Amino acid sequence: MAEESWGMVVDLDKCTGCQACVVACQSENNIPINDEDLFNQRRPIQWIRIERYWEGEFPNVKARFIPIMCQHCGDAPCEPVCPVFATYHNFEGLNVQVYNRCIGTRFCANNCPYQIRFFNFWEPEWPESLKNQLNPDVTVRSRGIMEKCTFCIQRIRRTGQDADRNGGDPTSAEYERSLNPACVNACPTETLAFGDFNNPDSKASKMRDKDSVEEGRAYSLLEEFGTNPSVVYLKKVDELAEEVVHG
Amino acid sequence: MQDHIQIDHKDINRDLLSGVLGTPSWWLGAVVFLTLVFLAGIGAFGYMLNKGIGVTGLNRPIMWGFFMTNFVFWIGISHAGIMISAILRLTQAEWRRPITRAAEVMTVFSLMAALMAAPLVHVGRPWRAALWVFPYDFARGVWPNIRSPFIWDPSAVMTYLTASSLFVFVALLPDLAVIRDRATGKWAPKIYSALCMGWRGTPRQWKLQALAGILLSALVLPVFVSVHSIVSWDFAVNIGVEGWHSTIFAPYFIIGAIHSGVSAVAMLMAVMVWLWKLDKYIRPDHFDAIGRLLIVVATTWFFFFFLEWVFALYTLEGPELALRELQVFQWPYIFLFILFLMTAYFIPVPLWLFKKVRRSIPLMFFTTVLVNVGMWLERFLIIIPGMARKTPLTFDWGTYHPSLVEILMVASTFAWVALGMLLFSKVFPLIPIFDIKEGMVFRDEVKIGRRTIPASIRE
Amino acid sequence: MASESAAQPGKLALDTPVGVIRDLLGKYQKTGDAYWRAVALFGVLFALGIIGFIMRLSDGVSDKAVWGYYAAMFAFILTTAQAAPMVAIATRLTKAHWRRPISRAAELWTIVGLFNLILFIPLLWVLPSLEDGRRSLWFFGNVDDIPIYSPHIWATLALVFLVIAGLMMLWVSCLPDLATIRDNSSGWRQRWAKRLAFQWRGTSAQWNMQHHRLGILGAFYFMMLVFVHFLISVDFLMALVPGWIDALFPATHAANALQAGAATMLLTLFFLRQFGGYKDYITLDQMWLLGKILFALSLLWFWFWFSSFIILWYGKRPNEQAVLELLMIGPYLPVFMAAFILNFLVPLFTMIWNPLRKSLWGPPLIATSVIIGTFFDRIRLYVATYTVPGIGDPAVDKHGALAMDAITKANLPDLADIFIIVGVIGGSILVFLLATRIIPSVSIWEQRELLLYKVHKPFHRTEVMVLGKRD
Repeated sequence: MAEESWGMVVDLDKCTGCQACVVACQSENNIPINDEDLFNQRRPIQWIRIERYWEGEFPNVKARFIPIMCQHCGDAPCEPVCPVFATYHNFEGLNVQVYNRCIGTRFCANNCPYQIRFFNFWEPEWPESLKNQLNPDVTVRSRGIMEKCTFCIQRIRRTGQDADRNGGDPTSAEYERSLNPACVNACPTETLAFGDFNNPDSKASKMRDKDSVEEGRAYSLLEEFGTNPSVVYLKKVDELAEEVVHG
Repeated sequence: MQDHIQIDHKDINRDLLSGVLGTPSWWLGAVVFLTLVFLAGIGAFGYMLNKGIGVTGLNRPIMWGFFMTNFVFWIGISHAGIMISAILRLTQAEWRRPITRAAEVMTVFSLMAALMAAPLVHVGRPWRAALWVFPYDFARGVWPNIRSPFIWDPSAVMTYLTASSLFVFVALLPDLAVIRDRATGKWAPKIYSALCMGWRGTPRQWKLQALAGILLSALVLPVFVSVHSIVSWDFAVNIGVEGWHSTIFAPYFIIGAIHSGVSAVAMLMAVMVWLWKLDKYIRPDHFDAIGRLLIVVATTWFFFFFLEWVFALYTLEGPELALRELQVFQWPYIFLFILFLMTAYFIPVPLWLFKKVRRSIPLMFFTTVLVNVGMWLERFLIIIPGMARKTPLTFDWGTYHPSLVEILMVASTFAWVALGMLLFSKVFPLIPIFDIKEGMVFRDEVKIGRRTIPASIRE
Repeated sequence: MASESAAQPGKLALDTPVGVIRDLLGKYQKTGDAYWRAVALFGVLFALGIIGFIMRLSDGVSDKAVWGYYAAMFAFILTTAQAAPMVAIATRLTKAHWRRPISRAAELWTIVGLFNLILFIPLLWVLPSLEDGRRSLWFFGNVDDIPIYSPHIWATLALVFLVIAGLMMLWVSCLPDLATIRDNSSGWRQRWAKRLAFQWRGTSAQWNMQHHRLGILGAFYFMMLVFVHFLISVDFLMALVPGWIDALFPATHAANALQAGAATMLLTLFFLRQFGGYKDYITLDQMWLLGKILFALSLLWFWFWFSSFIILWYGKRPNEQAVLELLMIGPYLPVFMAAFILNFLVPLFTMIWNPLRKSLWGPPLIATSVIIGTFFDRIRLYVATYTVPGIGDPAVDKHGALAMDAITKANLPDLADIFIIVGVIGGSILVFLLATRIIPSVSIWEQRELLLYKVHKPFHRTEVMVLGKRD
């Protein structure tokens, strides 16, 4: 498992904004329940979120959806600023958050230009019945700690252990649904693809290369920041849209 | 120094020790009031410890608020001490004599207030921070991240606190001996004796004390520059927040610190004249001198403020323009911005251009209070709007409303500094006795034609 | 401070006003062989510079890359000679007495400012207009709304006002001395002094106005100096590199000037003392105190540099990394290291050593290091920036970032550049030397004023000097 460089491809042409990925992520990763109060306080925790932008004037208004999760940047700006090394870059190209070390200075959240880092302002609480639903593979965080998308590292690890036990390549199609993060599995339109960018034959690599070479749709968010993200977005195809020149 | 009064050494001792050997009538009431405010802040902190950071107004994306603003503000005030004592001592300005100790002590208490305002208090898990940082948890062989500005911060601030405390102590030694010789009671003479470390006033001791003062003054100047540079880099190294990533932050913050710090010292001078009746020692001349210094400092500050704005707009980038638009034109920031500009520069400085204003103690007090209100707002306006318009992803823009918990905790830091000064004044003299006596001894006059001008004896 | 030279028979003691006047006038009126030899030497260097300039002109003004060294030399004189008067202005503000012997020498450097203004003129043709779409200080509206030569106009105006302020300050400062010369000499000096002295009679009203005017002109010079550095460092330097956004840079440029100005003064004082015969006036006090100022300013050089560097380095933004590559760690690394060592490391590690700092030769030696360091610093900044491709070409996008592969190799000086370098330095020193023939290098009236403030009095069992400080 030492030579992978995990990455994700998001095909914006397919995203319908249904938020199935958000729900899946919440169940998989023991994310606290975001009730209406929390949204009004502007403190909901959504490791993957759907951003919705309105374009155009009535009656030609269009809603544009873009799912944003931790970009696992190669040059992550959140990493150098943590005083206690609670976030660092591991050998698989993931930006890792160590909950136990975190003292909650929130410096990393400030330096992330994608705003994908979340802070537990309150102690998370689950009703009794929902406690059985918590995923035993994922730490339940207390208040005062930063958290964010991990590319479901628990699934990567479990798949790796399964592959070691049962034989086979964890990045092959056989283990695909086991390896994929919850959001990738839940998406009904196959917007998201996850894989090893170091392996040119992986599904994610193929999606990225095809669209950067042939159709030229591939881009990264906020490239001018130089963060070198591991998430590649594919532009939405809309023949009716006017050419927009971004300054 | 035109309105100099030559005072006899006996009278100097009596006047300046009046606060130590006796108690002013208002003192106890003030201490009780300030302690109550301070305890209210402690209570608010306890509530926050119990419930979580959620009781504040912080949210996503505005992850730092009043606590950070307050932290930077108190670091700023702490720069007064060194400015007044070290720099004015090295340039041999006579008018520094009555105010050096008060300024240095304010520095020490401000630094403690700064440490109270943010580092251990605003983090998500202060109990973990306290247990792991003092002493540091090396159990897994992981050291502190030296690349993080939050490691540079405590190093710089603790160095400054140590140096300032040493400074205060070295300058206190001769005065401690004066009190030792006059204190009554069972414990007081013993304690002062131990503290003054056997000071007898021999020529060798005076020489060593002067040398220590000069060395500390020179060595603390790099610390003085580096502390606030490092605090400013808490913000400036961030690429994530709009309006923070500017190279000008280091000198901008330092000159801002000098501006608010020297204003705080002027405020302190007025308070000392009114409450302790020290008008024979702190004369209108001193206010005149500090007012002229303030004009230069304030104008330099304004130049750096102007530079910051020019280069923010120089980029003509969308996110930066959105931030500036929020800061200047949108409510409530429009009100805060105008208030800040008026109080930090456009009301005080034109007033200070007039000698009558500079020599008037109530007007100096009023204008310097305005300056500090403005400078607190300046820190707020640098920190919060940037986070509100953080990234080009407009979906994540936000707003901030401070909560009662934050207001109480900020108020308690002000109470702490005032309380510290009052308690200090009861135990040690606020005006350095030996410094005043030295000024009297070295003072002389030179006749030029029909005029006599003040002079001092130079070896 | 004037010392008693009662040891020399036939010479009036220097602690009397008449003694001071005779002594200083004598030095001013005599010019020895060494002076003429120096004038000849620097005249030759200046002539070489003119040759180099003509060679450079033959390349035309459209390609600004070849004018990098010329721009660097203009900036070098702006940083050294035009900042030297700040030593007089700042010390006058603090009313220190030790500055009296050196203030005139500092003010004399304003004449070299006039020379620098003439040097500036060709650069107005070299700098492209704003039509190429680059960032600039004149950012309101889009390019069609602003005059495309705004940088040129504003920089020229600012530089002209700076030079005028400097010359006026010099003239006001000289008035009492010109009157002294008018009353005590003959020949061409007497005629010129009479015209320039402008009815100076030495009344109290005139003396009051004197101090007043000098204060205001000094403050104005300082403001104009900062403004000129602001305009030159942004529109003639920073705007030429896409993606170089350094809010501190105008202040850094100005702070470098203050350091180099102090260094220029130290070196000037050394030569005045050695060859001008001003040993009684320029003493250890001047060297020591100005040396301490140079030390502090060298520390500040580092702080300004580091404040910029840490921000640009830490963020890892591509545009900032490219700027660091261009100006510091890329092709100009040796030049940058030289500047860093000479401007900061040498002063830091030598000036902390007391025997060097408190000596007559130590501070001028370190000042030489600083001046050479400043020279390398300006070269690295201007030569590197002027080689950036695309600026001047309206088709290229200037608002993005400098691409790493667009960083050209180091531009080494050719023969014309070397001639220009020696010519500018030679010309500046030549102008200064010629100025000292017309204007005395040590201010006579300030030295006489000092005698009024200084009194020797008995104090307990000894005698001390009492120094008055005007309010």
